[in-house]
Amino acid sequence: MRFLKKKFYEYYLKPDIIFPSRIDRREFAFLSFSDTMMRRHISFPTRDRLLYYLRINAPAHAYYSSAYYRRPDAATMQEKEWMGADLIFDLDADHIPGAFESGYENALRMVKEEMKKLLDFLLEDFGFDKNKMHVFFSGGRGYHCHVFDRRVIELGSGERREIVDYITARGLDMDSVIVEKEIFADGYSIKKVEIMPSLPSWRGRIARGIIEFLKEIKSMEREDAIKKMMELEGIGRKIAESIYDSLDEERMKRIEEGMIDQLSAYKRLIKPLAKKLAVSLHSSTDEPVTADIKRLIRLPGSLHGKTGLKVEKVDIDAIDEFEPLRDAIAFGDEIVEIEVKKPFSIEMNEERYELKKGRARVPEYVAVFAVARGFAEG
Amino acid sequence: MDLHVIARYPFLEEAREWVKSEAVSIEEVLNEAVYDRARERAMERVKQAVEKGIIKPYPCVEESDCVMEIFSYPIARMIVAAVESDFLIRRYALAEAKKAYETLKNEDASFINFMLEKFGISMHDGKIHFTDYLKYAPTWHSKWKLVNRIMERGYIRLEKNEMARLLQEAIRKKIQDELFYLFAPPEVRKIFGELINRLRAKTVVKEDKKYEGEESMVYFPPCIKSLISAARNGINIPHVGRFTLVTFLNAVGMPIDDIVSLFRSSPDFNEEKTRYQIEHITGKISGTIYSVPKCATIRTWGLCNPDELCRKVSHPMIYYRIKRGKNEVPKEKVL
Repeated sequence: MRFLKKKFYEYYLKPDIIFPSRIDRREFAFLSFSDTMMRRHISFPTRDRLLYYLRINAPAHAYYSSAYYRRPDAATMQEKEWMGADLIFDLDADHIPGAFESGYENALRMVKEEMKKLLDFLLEDFGFDKNKMHVFFSGGRGYHCHVFDRRVIELGSGERREIVDYITARGLDMDSVIVEKEIFADGYSIKKVEIMPSLPSWRGRIARGIIEFLKEIKSMEREDAIKKMMELEGIGRKIAESIYDSLDEERMKRIEEGMIDQLSAYKRLIKPLAKKLAVSLHSSTDEPVTADIKRLIRLPGSLHGKTGLKVEKVDIDAIDEFEPLRDAIAFGDEIVEIEVKKPFSIEMNEERYELKKGRARVPEYVAVFAVARGFAEG
Repeated sequence: MDLHVIARYPFLEEAREWVKSEAVSIEEVLNEAVYDRARERAMERVKQAVEKGIIKPYPCVEESDCVMEIFSYPIARMIVAAVESDFLIRRYALAEAKKAYETLKNEDASFINFMLEKFGISMHDGKIHFTDYLKYAPTWHSKWKLVNRIMERGYIRLEKNEMARLLQEAIRKKIQDELFYLFAPPEVRKIFGELINRLRAKTVVKEDKKYEGEESMVYFPPCIKSLISAARNGINIPHVGRFTLVTFLNAVGMPIDDIVSLFRSSPDFNEEKTRYQIEHITGKISGTIYSVPKCATIRTWGLCNPDELCRKVSHPMIYYRIKRGKNEVPKEKVL
């Protein structure tokens, strides 16, 4: 622990903090390496005071409130007087079922994909300005998105929940995304479903999702296609077969134009597809933090005590290129010696480290990561 | 603005301005025979709100009909305020809002636009921003959930009657927020005493008297808190102080026996006498329920020791309601 604490002290001599707006209205909270209790209700009138605090305390974890308070250092919520809050999305590998099965690095990649979905919703559907949003790698197991558009700051918890429900497709009325039509021709009535791929919001998203999915299915070998469809919830072999076998050129063309006949089989695709298109924002145990208007979030540019990585800003336009284990490294590459307690493998800064029990010489950033994760001692 | 329009939407600033420009005093409206019809209609508004949940429109043929309809609104508000019941305030605000909705959905687009702007909602080619939408949409209904709307770059297209529905909620909120801050002048109690007492018996018991024992006390205003601690510590309280305390505790629903025991430590405690006085004030004997004195009165009696919230309110019951966390504090004080 001494090693880690020393390194954190070194970092906080000259940290790259990205300051939240209206710092004087925010509550700060810290957890040090030795404390078990979080130190809360701290406020700083200026950026320099915060930097000074970080320098002398070098906390293991640093947080600030998404909310703005009249008296951020008051001990109770009532006395603090809530004035508004940024809109925060917290995407964590914990929220994705099975994310850790293929390791830490892969889990982070999966969360990044979720973040890309979220950004598409926020930019296309909600119309937020890119300049009024920040995306951060949390330093731990996920990504955060902060929206500080003036119009969302005053939204209450119920209104934020509606935003969450939107991007997670909760409460989505499956009948509203498609329009069933009865067409009369030659004395017969035919039921048809109209989908609208050119529309914005969920109606368009589902329609485009269906078309894309069916195109993919059509291009696949029969057995593979059927298997892929059966991965979706509520699709059995019989339905999968009937969908595959019905997808001739002409039908595919009609579907791309937004007309679906033989609706009963296709209708089954909507619900599982919506689930795939939605953002995984709910953890199994708690409610999404977005609806919480009094939430603490990691201070951008601070260090994560369990990884030694930095809460790092991600360029929204270059999110694909962002590599957390390269771009969020806070320490140098000077070689240091550590005592590995538990073998581990990690790719950092584009180099793979396979470490076995015993003494090892690694770059400082690998050492910090290994010690913070509890794999080694400094 | 046309008098007929003002009569349909008497909660608008324009209506307030018009009433002001008429330069009629509250006394006149409450007492003069010319305003008989306005007072009748005011009582009808409140009664319909309670019984039907909606207020029926009043046929305005002549200009004088409009005048009566317009005046009836502030009078109705005073009656509602005098009852001092959260339940009634909510129900009345909703009934007025529903009444407005019924006519709003038939107004033309430019008027809807005008109304939206009144509530700070700006419309761009039949679309409004989702943050405005969320403030007023009844999202508990599946059709109104944001996820089921067509939203493009933050804007949602709405039909005219859907706009009217949003306005209904905006109007309801406005009327309700105003009423929580409104204190009725005492004359109202005299003139509409019978109706007020009847409504109070009906509604106050329902909602306001949610006394939850000692726990409710944290929401009491500082003046009441210090009176309670004085009573408990056997410090002699002046008559006006006891009056304030008893009317307040009765209004929040504390049982009479509990109020009596509060005075047990008083140096001159006499159970029979105390009970008689309390029952007199709380209407058990006299038939009149004395209302809680307003802040200004408490201040002149030298019982006021305000905290920050006190500066925003004019009546101890309003303090209690706000503190109980049921209502948000409106941006500006309305009175």
